[in-house]
Amino acid sequence: MAAGGPAGGAHSVCMVSDFFYPNMGGVESHVYQLSQCLIERGHKVLVVTHAYGCRKGVRYLTNGLKVYYLPLKVMYNQSTATTLFHSLPLLRYIFVRERVTIVHAHSSFSAMAHDALFHAKTMGLRTVFTDHSLFGFADVSSVLTNKLLTVSLCDTNHIVCVSYTSKENTVLRAALDPRIVSVIPNAVDPTDFTPDPSRRDDSTITIVVVSRLVYRKGIDLLSGIIPELCQKYPELHFLVGGEGPKRIVLEEVRERYQLHDRVRLLGALEHQDVRNVLVQGHIFLNTSLTEAFCMAIVEAASCGLQVVSTRVGGIPEVLPENLIILCEPSVKSLCDGLEKAIAQLRSGTLQSPETVHNKVKTFYTWRNVAERTEKVYDRVADEVVLPMDERLNRLMSHCGPVTGYIFALFAVLNFLFLVFLRWMTPDSIIDVAIDATGPKGAWTKQYFFGKKGRVKEELPSS
Amino acid sequence: MVLKVFFPSCCSSAESGILIGRWISEQNSAVILAVVHFPFIPAQVKQYLSEVQRVTKVSVSVLGSWSNSKQEKEESLSEFLEDLGTIFSHEPWIQISKEGDSNFWSCSTLQKHSNNPKEEEIILVYYDQRKVMLSHLHPPLDTAVSTDHQADDASKLAAIFDTVAKSKILFMTDRYDDGPIKLTHWQSDGVEASIIVELMKQASVPACMLLTFLLSLISGICRSRVLKFWPLSFLWSKLSTCEQLGHRLQHLQVISSDKKAQNQTQLMRKANIFVSLLVDVALGILLMSWLYRKNRIGHLADTLIPVADHVAEELQDLLQWLMGAPAGLKMNRALDQVLGRFFLYHIHLWISYIHLMSPFIEMILWYVGLSACLGLTVALCILSDIIALLTFHIYCFYVYGARLYCLKIYGLSSLWRLFRGKKWNVLRQRVDSCSYDLDQLFIGTLLFTILLFLLPTTALYYLVFTLLRLLVVIVQGLIHLLVDLIDSLPLYSIILRLCRSYRLAAGVKFRVLEQQDGKPLRLLMQINPLSYGSVVQTYRLPTYSCYPKDTWTSLCKKLFLGELIYPWKHKGEKQD
Amino acid sequence: WQKVLYERQPFPDNYVDQRFLEELRKNVHARRYRYRAVVFQSGAVVQQLCSVCVFVVTWWYMDAGMLSPQGLFGAALVSSLLGYVLFDAVDSGAGRRESGRTRWADLKSTLVFAAFTYGFSPVLKTLTESISTDTIYAMSALMLLGHLIFFDYGANAAIVSSTLSLNMAIFASVCLASRLPRSLHAFVMVTFAMQIFALWPMLQKKLKAQTPRCYVGVTVLFALAALAGLATVSSVGAVLFASLLLAISCLCPYCLIRLQQLKDNIHGPWDEAEIKEDLSRFLM
Repeated sequence: MAAGGPAGGAHSVCMVSDFFYPNMGGVESHVYQLSQCLIERGHKVLVVTHAYGCRKGVRYLTNGLKVYYLPLKVMYNQSTATTLFHSLPLLRYIFVRERVTIVHAHSSFSAMAHDALFHAKTMGLRTVFTDHSLFGFADVSSVLTNKLLTVSLCDTNHIVCVSYTSKENTVLRAALDPRIVSVIPNAVDPTDFTPDPSRRDDSTITIVVVSRLVYRKGIDLLSGIIPELCQKYPELHFLVGGEGPKRIVLEEVRERYQLHDRVRLLGALEHQDVRNVLVQGHIFLNTSLTEAFCMAIVEAASCGLQVVSTRVGGIPEVLPENLIILCEPSVKSLCDGLEKAIAQLRSGTLQSPETVHNKVKTFYTWRNVAERTEKVYDRVADEVVLPMDERLNRLMSHCGPVTGYIFALFAVLNFLFLVFLRWMTPDSIIDVAIDATGPKGAWTKQYFFGKKGRVKEELPSS
Repeated sequence: MVLKVFFPSCCSSAESGILIGRWISEQNSAVILAVVHFPFIPAQVKQYLSEVQRVTKVSVSVLGSWSNSKQEKEESLSEFLEDLGTIFSHEPWIQISKEGDSNFWSCSTLQKHSNNPKEEEIILVYYDQRKVMLSHLHPPLDTAVSTDHQADDASKLAAIFDTVAKSKILFMTDRYDDGPIKLTHWQSDGVEASIIVELMKQASVPACMLLTFLLSLISGICRSRVLKFWPLSFLWSKLSTCEQLGHRLQHLQVISSDKKAQNQTQLMRKANIFVSLLVDVALGILLMSWLYRKNRIGHLADTLIPVADHVAEELQDLLQWLMGAPAGLKMNRALDQVLGRFFLYHIHLWISYIHLMSPFIEMILWYVGLSACLGLTVALCILSDIIALLTFHIYCFYVYGARLYCLKIYGLSSLWRLFRGKKWNVLRQRVDSCSYDLDQLFIGTLLFTILLFLLPTTALYYLVFTLLRLLVVIVQGLIHLLVDLIDSLPLYSIILRLCRSYRLAAGVKFRVLEQQDGKPLRLLMQINPLSYGSVVQTYRLPTYSCYPKDTWTSLCKKLFLGELIYPWKHKGEKQD
Repeated sequence: WQKVLYERQPFPDNYVDQRFLEELRKNVHARRYRYRAVVFQSGAVVQQLCSVCVFVVTWWYMDAGMLSPQGLFGAALVSSLLGYVLFDAVDSGAGRRESGRTRWADLKSTLVFAAFTYGFSPVLKTLTESISTDTIYAMSALMLLGHLIFFDYGANAAIVSSTLSLNMAIFASVCLASRLPRSLHAFVMVTFAMQIFALWPMLQKKLKAQTPRCYVGVTVLFALAALAGLATVSSVGAVLFASLLLAISCLCPYCLIRLQQLKDNIHGPWDEAEIKEDLSRFLM
């Protein structure tokens, strides 16, 4: 059943991130899809995140993917508050119970991921970190977060980035050796994003924009492009999906130029509706000002749309030049790019949606991502985890005189806390959880149905 | 499936015969209503049953046989009983037999047409026919919360209660009647008392007609156009006495209407209104008799004027205090003086008004006291209105203070936005930034400064008068609470619950009786009475007054923003 | 090896190419400042400090009765008229034509302003009677400080709000004016505040744009006048104020330029792109 099967033996991986279902977004779907593909390949995978409302405790998802929703307080933007110590008892319990060998943390915005890395290193587990975002260097907040990232990653075994630009960024931010940073792109499920040219209205030209309406996504640029192009092309329509604080800007533009019939603001979209919106358009416009990978343009290309995008972050690496028109992040350049796309569309020199789809669907698949991530795990499994003294040395030498010593002290305190916990409840008396994941696990169909039958028999007596 | 037989406990000593009742096939249960004794002619029984069925709309049929053999069991009888099954075909045919004085009966069913002769388990449930017939089953109030399962159970029980209640006509036949068929079931004993009831019923018809005529006359006058003009209609709506009288008028109309109550709830409502009216009037007459003895009215009038004077004097002192430097607060002296003199002038007006009124007060009170015969509630409402009239000056002060304060608060809030270079966008319901002209900015800031420095003075006046106002409102509120209590308390239902608790059933409980092996399980069905809380909740009479539904936070917010709070009823909200 | 993600390349995922970090740039947006230019720009701060100083000193004189309201009003009126003429003369009416503001509108504003101030001056007089003088001083100082903080010196920062700045100055002037002995004093004080906090910066801005040399001269003269005025009230205050002005106009620019050399800013494709155009024109 497992495609290929794990080369270096099965790993027991614990994915840690503040961002997971029921929250929706890029990191969430990455964690979920990667976990599923790894389970399919015969590894044991569990996900640890914080409790979302009444969703707390342990839940099982498809294929027995076990998710721990830990009762930690959310501070800001779904990220938990951190004291660097309070989560150790819970996480230690999980790591021991589940016999975790590799801790894989996701997203540099997630405080819980950094906590888990810290504790895992104290407990002598191997650690992998995936960075999903880009950061600047110029302002105060990024100086602080970059320092924390340096501390968090200086003794992490391996780091994964989603694009080459993201790798360069992470290497600079955390002052890392580039050889322990791998580039594994995100993926898109191509079966979810199939073209459907019948849904298009070919008497008009429709430009689709799907993104959160925030400053970082360049919505201000969009508010300049809309009037510029709508005045030039009377048959042009805009379809904007997404919600956010910048919606008001688009509404003002629409009112000012009386474009109510040509600019439709759809509001927040569910993930399953994105495809239905995409297939209604001819051209996809992405105006992001910064982007590590940009799944949206891959999704749009997979639906057979011509993509016009700003040349920022990792976007130039994502699609080959014949599928994307890259522009500078300015109204004029983006308008030129769109006009080029419109001219191609009118002259019929655009590639048909089917051919585009067939091309794109080979680019990024979750199986491929899982395969490459597995290689990272294999590599990490062979490495040694730094013993405590070397770890302290690394922290002190690598993170600057002040921060280094402070965090070295924290590391020692954390270690003492762990020793205390081990004395309170030794590892030997913590139960080992049943491995429920994957084809080997207890979560098979036979087991499930057998259990169900038994329950049915018991019913009358109860 | 278990077969349940609901057996009336009064039939347990009946002579042998056949069982008639209703078969509820969905629940696989039989509700026995009566026993027909031997001898009878089958054709007559069938005719009788069809007649009953026509009247009651309940599908009554012969369900089985009943044998009560005091002596030894006769072989022939049992055979005969089995044969009966062929005459009155019913599936399944239930046979119950009692031997001697034994408490354990044997039950069996005959399934002639089915091929599986499997013995069905039978449960005998005894029920008190009279209580079940008279009781009214209340569905659980929180049906939305309870699971479907519970709701299902409730509807099952309701079917049984319904069956018994509907076949009331069956039980109306007299014990001493010599009909062609002899039945055993519950029968009422007291025929004598019901003669008086009958007489009263007869008498009530013309009384009701007269009352209806009078009421229509009064309501016609009330609805006449003269009273609808603006100042008058406004006045009516503000006087709680008029409201209360109108409310009672409606009650009387409900009682005297010749329409029959369609269901139990309406019947109970009528009864409740009637009892509460009676109690109200009785209390009112009691009050009146107390008031008019020993010239109490005169004493009251003599004390009322000094009290009003005293209140006015106290207010004057209060204003004098406010015009100084109250509690060491730094007020704007000029504004303080202006406001203080304005209010003092008002009190002066008020005192002269009171003195103008004083010679007539006793007479007014004497006539007004007569209204207590209309009920205690009317008297209380008049009291509330008198309080409102006597504290009219406080109300005026409050309104002036609140309006002034409100104006200041709104002015300050919008000028504060101007101060920060913002404005309120009405269309978008949010604060936008805005570039003002130089002169706009200047005037705005000038006004802002002035208003800000004058705010404490206004706020203090507002605070003091609001506290006074709240005091009056609380007193009035308490009076209205009492009125509402008398108006809405379902006295009849409560008395019923007290004396005949089975009449209001919340559900049933089953008590397991003695048991013997091989004999069917015997249960006694007892009625669970409704709790007092739910009696009040179910039968509470609607009151006319709907107070503004302010939560405490919204009340505090209103007070802070200086919006007026009304003690008198909001007519506007009622229509919403 | 190519820097693309859509092709499978025969290198491991953690392969580091020669071209790694080749797009790294340093100090792309760093501007080299010239000392003279910075000193010139610091003139705006000096001017505003001097305005506040002149205002406070004038109020001091009024409060002490050393300056008659009629005298101040006359002087202010004359300087306002001069300034008004100068305002149009500097750019020969170009700014006025651009904004489309008529002289009638100016006159109307002036009338409205004068009428309101005069009408409210008796109210202003009694406004803060019951409030302690120290409270008023503290409040005025706070408001004048706020005025200096939020004033639009030409920097493009979120904290700048010329409306708030002007309003705070007016508030302070109303507070201070209410302490003066008569209502005419209050009226003249508020008028003077309006001139020095609202009209004077407008003229300055225009001078700065049109005739920089002249602006420098005006600034120096104004600063000297303020210092002289302060010296008559308190010599210690004058010395402190002079050192403050010197620090702002000479020392701070020097520090800025020295620190500028230590700048080490990394740029690359990961940076958030900046929108350089003025997009508000689409909403005009």
